[in-house]
Amino acid sequence: MSKLGQVVESVENYNKFVLDQVKRARTDQKFGRDLLGRWNDTKAKIPVTRTPTGLPLPRLALPEIDEPGEIARFIFGEGLPGQFPYLNAAYPEMYLEPIREIESFDKNGSRSRSALDTGKKLTQPEEPTRLFSGLMLAEDTNERFHYLTRHQRTHRLSTAFDGPTLYGLDSDADGVFGKIGEGGVAIDTVEDMVRLYDGFDLGSANFSASMTISGPAPMIMAMYIAAAKRRFGPKVVSRLRGTVQADIFKEVQAQNETIFPIEPSLRFLADMVEFTTREMPRWYPISISGYHIGEAGSTPVQQAAYTLSNGFAYAEMFAARGIPVDQFGPRLSFFLDCGLDAEYIALSRVSRRIWAIGMRDVFGAGARAQLFKLHTQTSGRSLIAAEFKNNLTRTATELILSYMNATNSCHSNSADEPFTTPSEEWIRLAAHGQAILLEESGIFKHTMNMLSGSPGMKAVERAVEAAILNEFREIERLGGVLAAVEERYQRSQIQNAAHRYEQQIYDGTRPIIGLNKYRDNDEDAPEVKLVRTPRAKQQLQVDRVQKFKKKNAEKAKRALDQLATVAERGDNVFPALLEAAEVCSLGQITGRLQEVVGRFRPMV
Amino acid sequence: MSSPIRILTAVPICDGHDSAINTINLEFIRHGIEVIYLGYHRSVSDIVRAGIQEDVRAIGISSYNGGHIEFFAAVVDLLRKKGADDIKVFGGGGGTITRDDATKMRRKGVDEIFFAGTSLDDMVKFVHQRYGKPRSRRPRPQSFDQELAHKLTQIEEVYGSGNRKRPTPRFSRAKRALNCGGLTPLSPRTSKVIGFTGPGGAGKTTLIDELVLRFLHRNSKGRIAILSHDPSVVGEGALLGDRATMINSQHDRVFMRSMATRGQAGGLSPATHDCLALLAQSNFDYVIIETVGTGQEAMPFQKNGIVDSTVLVMNPDYGSRLQLQKIVMLDLADIVVVNKSDLQRARTAHTEIEQRLDQNRRHQQLVDTVAKRHRDSGADRLFELISDRQ
Repeated sequence: MSKLGQVVESVENYNKFVLDQVKRARTDQKFGRDLLGRWNDTKAKIPVTRTPTGLPLPRLALPEIDEPGEIARFIFGEGLPGQFPYLNAAYPEMYLEPIREIESFDKNGSRSRSALDTGKKLTQPEEPTRLFSGLMLAEDTNERFHYLTRHQRTHRLSTAFDGPTLYGLDSDADGVFGKIGEGGVAIDTVEDMVRLYDGFDLGSANFSASMTISGPAPMIMAMYIAAAKRRFGPKVVSRLRGTVQADIFKEVQAQNETIFPIEPSLRFLADMVEFTTREMPRWYPISISGYHIGEAGSTPVQQAAYTLSNGFAYAEMFAARGIPVDQFGPRLSFFLDCGLDAEYIALSRVSRRIWAIGMRDVFGAGARAQLFKLHTQTSGRSLIAAEFKNNLTRTATELILSYMNATNSCHSNSADEPFTTPSEEWIRLAAHGQAILLEESGIFKHTMNMLSGSPGMKAVERAVEAAILNEFREIERLGGVLAAVEERYQRSQIQNAAHRYEQQIYDGTRPIIGLNKYRDNDEDAPEVKLVRTPRAKQQLQVDRVQKFKKKNAEKAKRALDQLATVAERGDNVFPALLEAAEVCSLGQITGRLQEVVGRFRPMV
Repeated sequence: MSSPIRILTAVPICDGHDSAINTINLEFIRHGIEVIYLGYHRSVSDIVRAGIQEDVRAIGISSYNGGHIEFFAAVVDLLRKKGADDIKVFGGGGGTITRDDATKMRRKGVDEIFFAGTSLDDMVKFVHQRYGKPRSRRPRPQSFDQELAHKLTQIEEVYGSGNRKRPTPRFSRAKRALNCGGLTPLSPRTSKVIGFTGPGGAGKTTLIDELVLRFLHRNSKGRIAILSHDPSVVGEGALLGDRATMINSQHDRVFMRSMATRGQAGGLSPATHDCLALLAQSNFDYVIIETVGTGQEAMPFQKNGIVDSTVLVMNPDYGSRLQLQKIVMLDLADIVVVNKSDLQRARTAHTEIEQRLDQNRRHQQLVDTVAKRHRDSGADRLFELISDRQ
């Protein structure tokens, strides 16, 4: 049995355990009394907050239960926010506005007040908003980053790369000219990387960079480190914060941006993880992503099931490399898509619970390594070109669903995304959508669990969990994640689901407003400002990378030879990549490594 | 009965968005169209080379990652430069291609751009209407590959869409068609022909592509031809997808042609024999023919005398020893390959097959390979065996 089969068993066992606890709370009087006591203590300690109109509300809402069996079902089955199995949230407080005064109910039920320690400055929690951006050349994206973070306390940048970069090619590669700077930023060398984050303090606790790239992730990571060292000296490395996506499985299953065969791709990934978990304790070297699986057309259940099973497969692989689970576990992060289907009401909640149980009971992970730390993005696929302003409503609905699932961070799509890299006008609305929801509306800022635990939500949770476990069983039957990937199981499942989705749109069983329902006579093409990279900029990028390669030709040759030698030997390539990143272009490194390990053979 | 429409579909370089094209491919083949799918992240030269070799009526490009104006124009230009502008270009990209873009692209020679919301039915209708009529006059071929591709099309068209009325004698009918076209008459064969067969999923395509890589390295000038087969589905369309995984075979020194079985059982097309005969006389160093993943029957081209060596590629998971007894090809193949020999079951498979081959006393060779592995030593050995065979 692979670890995934054990995860299925562990969740089943845990569910049995919860039922046993419920029964015990009802039959074992002492146990029941203890639970009730703990429950009342918890309730008594909940601070009270006030809405702008003065209405008192608890900072944490709990179900109205006073029977030990039901209390056991909640405590063990769901957990308080921040407590195992983390169904409600990974942390005790999220999105809540700071309070100036703490009120709480004492044991007798009357309210008491205590002022906060006035010596301390009130700390605002950090914003969960992350806007994914990347356009044209490094300096253009840099300008966009500064624009996006101008009102933010913390600078959390999320970077999109252009096609050539995602495929590990240089901007002067044959036939890619028109793609330079389209859909993301063009990065060829460490010099581009320096320009990309110029003006930001990379070593600061208030800064982090997320880089959405997987195939060439180890190379891009090495370039990021090299750029940070150039600007802030070698000591900055251990202070760097951020995330690099580096998810090979989902690339092979859905997104198709893989450049080496699967096995060496996984090997280079593990090399990087080994390095960063040791040298960069604040870095997330992998973001296990369902987003692209969802966007490629999977069902929500497939998305969660493949993401979680990929995660467990990585955990198995890193553990086999000898990295302790409590070292790599806290450095894993997740990324899910949030669309409009009913499953999204609880998809991430259920995922968080399955992950925690699996990590604890199969991998022996401690508390920090059990957390399913989640970034959510609203569904790009749900946005359409016809009557595109409706996309604002779609994204807003998805945002509510995302925060109902207690995502740790979130990106909201711009309404103009079906046509173009977002323009400032629409990206601003997308960012403001999050601010309106979290800061203006009272839905999330006063009370944790505001929208948790409705009977409908629980019904979705049960159905989704059962369906995810069934998917796990199927993958297990095929011999585990890697074997299923090689058989293209996930790919064909996703393709079937995508085909069904399209069929449903065409036959009208899946209503898309403005497209197959309530469609007015064909509107004129919308007036949308297109963001396209001018030819002159594309040419500038080509000139830059060629100049860099010419300047460093000698040094690059030595660094590449060294890299090839290490790769041939099967040693950890990451230190050699760090050397190479100083003097080689991305395309040079890709090309040399492909000579050693081969190219990825696409799956159809 | 006329032949099905053949079109090529692909996603441009640096673009992995294949969800739309996968759906469209399925819809096309359901409506009788033969689709040669080149896959995603494909360069202009790969697309044009494939379009010419496969001699398709049109190339459909699905682009979601920007740069479409330049990319589509580059495909049209290169086709024109190669004298192949009878191959038309159409495509789409959801909302990423605006109406203004589409106008520019049409001006540059693109036939049609589909916008978001176009129904699959409309796309199918477009392909049938625009590319369904017989081609009027072909332009004079400007290259060896183009001439060869035209001849292969003529042969396929002689056989129409199925083998209901089998022309007899087959070869002479095709030959007549060729001569009518005023092309050079057939000359004696010059190539070594190797047949590959084996069950679906055994890894034939990957293995052939690995052998091609070795051939290209070994020979600085030589050329190789591949005739690959995929099954037609009910309704007479077919998805011909081998090119998408054959990364090394997208090369100017490789001529590849994908054929649909068009209703014939046994893993080959009614036109295979004549097409193979033509390729075998066309000065390639090697001609490789790959059947559809077959079951237990003998390879149909075994008796026709054109194939010099046959390779049977096995998956170690063939089931019980009893199953093995039913595989007639084990008696006929010159070389038997156990691919995926990294699987647990492979050792047993090797032993069982070895015993079976020993009984035959035909000096058949048995090779273990892991085709998916870069520089696999088993694939090296297979390459040497094939090179050494006379």
